[in-house]
Amino acid sequence: MVRLRTLVQTLVAFGTNAYLLFPFGGSVIYQGPLKAVCHPGLNCYSCPGALLSCPVGAVQNFLAAIRFHAPGALPHPGAIVVGYLGFIGTMVGRLPCGWLCPFGFIQDLIHKIPVRKFSLWEPLRWVKYGVLAVLVVILPLVLVDSTGLGHPWFCKLLCPAGTLEGALPMILLKPSLWVTLGVYFWNKITILTILLILMVFISRPFCRMLCPLGAFYSLFTRMTLVHLEFIEGNCVECGACTRKCPTGVKPAEEFDSPECIMCLKCLDACQFRALQFGIRRPPAPEKKRAVSPL
Amino acid sequence: MPKKAVWLIIFFTLLFIWGINSGELDFVQNLGNTICLNCIGVG
Repeated sequence: MVRLRTLVQTLVAFGTNAYLLFPFGGSVIYQGPLKAVCHPGLNCYSCPGALLSCPVGAVQNFLAAIRFHAPGALPHPGAIVVGYLGFIGTMVGRLPCGWLCPFGFIQDLIHKIPVRKFSLWEPLRWVKYGVLAVLVVILPLVLVDSTGLGHPWFCKLLCPAGTLEGALPMILLKPSLWVTLGVYFWNKITILTILLILMVFISRPFCRMLCPLGAFYSLFTRMTLVHLEFIEGNCVECGACTRKCPTGVKPAEEFDSPECIMCLKCLDACQFRALQFGIRRPPAPEKKRAVSPL
Repeated sequence: MPKKAVWLIIFFTLLFIWGINSGELDFVQNLGNTICLNCIGVG
């Protein structure tokens, strides 16, 4: 399963960033029809190789453009992206984080560097919901510039995928951009550097602390169509599943955890078949107790 | 299959179709075709 996941991650990361014409004149980024489709993971659409759009960037830009009072403004709430992400979230929860997200794959690769590893302080898990609410939804809706439009604040202030996949290749390909770089760029470079260092010591720090896409998918983990089922009778409490989990979930204690990225490492680790991956069964109806006549 | 998941899948499918019919596809396409200066940190 580990090899299969690495293969899928590699194919998706390279397959969705396969625009190879950027060094040969024309546009620096791909501008074809595939850009109408959003990536299920976090992948900057300004990456010179990107074939798909970024769902988080698209949602923010939709919200930033909603101005009901302004004539000619877009009345679109981004239903296409919310519908798309909600559909994926309801079907498979955070599975795209574990299998399809290119930035998650980068974190997995960096974490392979053999040094002493540390666990994440658990309350930091909640920060990503704040990032989703404030930087992706509220600020693009509320803060407007002199033209009356909002800005994608997550992209502007935080997104390390944008810095790594979009900004750095872009300023190398277009040196004229250097003169336009300001405080936002250096802020994002600092955040990216801190996260890259953290990735070496802590597994998936960005996904667990800051990713708004992971936060959105995690809203559905208790009602997804597929899930990891824990079979209590088979568990011998050896803790092998917990030790293997890249996001610090204890599968035997936290059922349908919002932190679970369905990488299925726990499934491989368990030798007693206490975990099964499949379609969620509806809860069995409670049987009414027969009341014995007095 | 759990009922809640089925209803949510229907809801999000309808939302997606509504988005396509209201022209949001062009917005995403135009967005993807321009270099995201915010992502780069210009400004």
